[in-house]
Amino acid sequence: MSGFDTLNAAWMVRDGPAPAPEEAVLEYTRELEKFLAEIERRAFRMAQVALRDPDDALDAVQDAMLKLARNYASRPSTEWRPLFYRILENGIRDLQRRRSVRKRFMTWLPGAKEDPDNEAQDPLDNVADAAPPIPEVLMQGQAMEQLEVSLRALPARQREAFMLRNFEGLDVAETATAMGCSEGSVKTHYSRAVHALREQLGEVW
Amino acid sequence: MNEQHSEPRGSFEERSRALFLDSVDGLDFALRSRLTQARNAALDAATRRPSWFFRFGVLAPAGVTAAAVLGAFLWLGSPLGQHAVTVGNDGQSNLEDLELVASTDEGSGDAMDMLQDDIEFYDWAEKAASSGPAASS
Repeated sequence: MSGFDTLNAAWMVRDGPAPAPEEAVLEYTRELEKFLAEIERRAFRMAQVALRDPDDALDAVQDAMLKLARNYASRPSTEWRPLFYRILENGIRDLQRRRSVRKRFMTWLPGAKEDPDNEAQDPLDNVADAAPPIPEVLMQGQAMEQLEVSLRALPARQREAFMLRNFEGLDVAETATAMGCSEGSVKTHYSRAVHALREQLGEVW
Repeated sequence: MNEQHSEPRGSFEERSRALFLDSVDGLDFALRSRLTQARNAALDAATRRPSWFFRFGVLAPAGVTAAAVLGAFLWLGSPLGQHAVTVGNDGQSNLEDLELVASTDEGSGDAMDMLQDDIEFYDWAEKAASSGPAASS
């Protein structure tokens, strides 16, 4: 069975009778490209909010794109979005876990305080805890910065639920798929996230 | 406890979404370019996928065949395999060879003649021994 036959079979599972193999490949690729182009910047910003570091965020997004293309491209395109975000959230969690291990390891070493990757030295860490002075209405950039800081202060699941539902516009079912939990849990996490953010940012907004 | 978020989207949510989308629009050119490169790499992986399947589709049966040939070779080469029933190029199995050998040793007329000769020889030898040297001459 040739590669085209394989692709043809995958296409038939997805969308019924297959077009000619070359057309199928073209359309398949075009559809995936359109999806990734539409989603990539928002995904990057969401990863950046969670990871802070743009390089790490880019790595996470690239990894999610590759995994989606390699493993799930044959799934119906309507499933791509929650699948993509599930992969991305798993990647973000892995990176955070690795960072945490590295941080613990670095603290055992002499001269760890000089470690440039030490997250404790990130000035943004102190902003939320220090109850910053709030002027009347913050400028756009500052407001987003405040939102990011507040989002980082949330528990991971609440942050995920808020970003997927509000920033990405996934519905409850899609968010549940992306987070790998029940729809009830999504609603709970989202509600708590909104409540916590309003408490922190309400005076500014 | 299951707090449900059933209320309509409030101004807080709308504002936060608008801010987020503004920040997305504000991404610099270098980052956009890197994202495009990442996307192209993913698309390459997607289009290469059938060829990987194709390679696997060819390699897997080839591997199974090679393993089968090796297994057969080892089986026939082993002492155990030499006693096994096999089929030769002429279509005769070695079971038939075994029958031929067995029939030659036990059931054929030549074998019976040889047995008869042996009996006659031992009979003569016994008589010669009992009658002494004179009788044997």
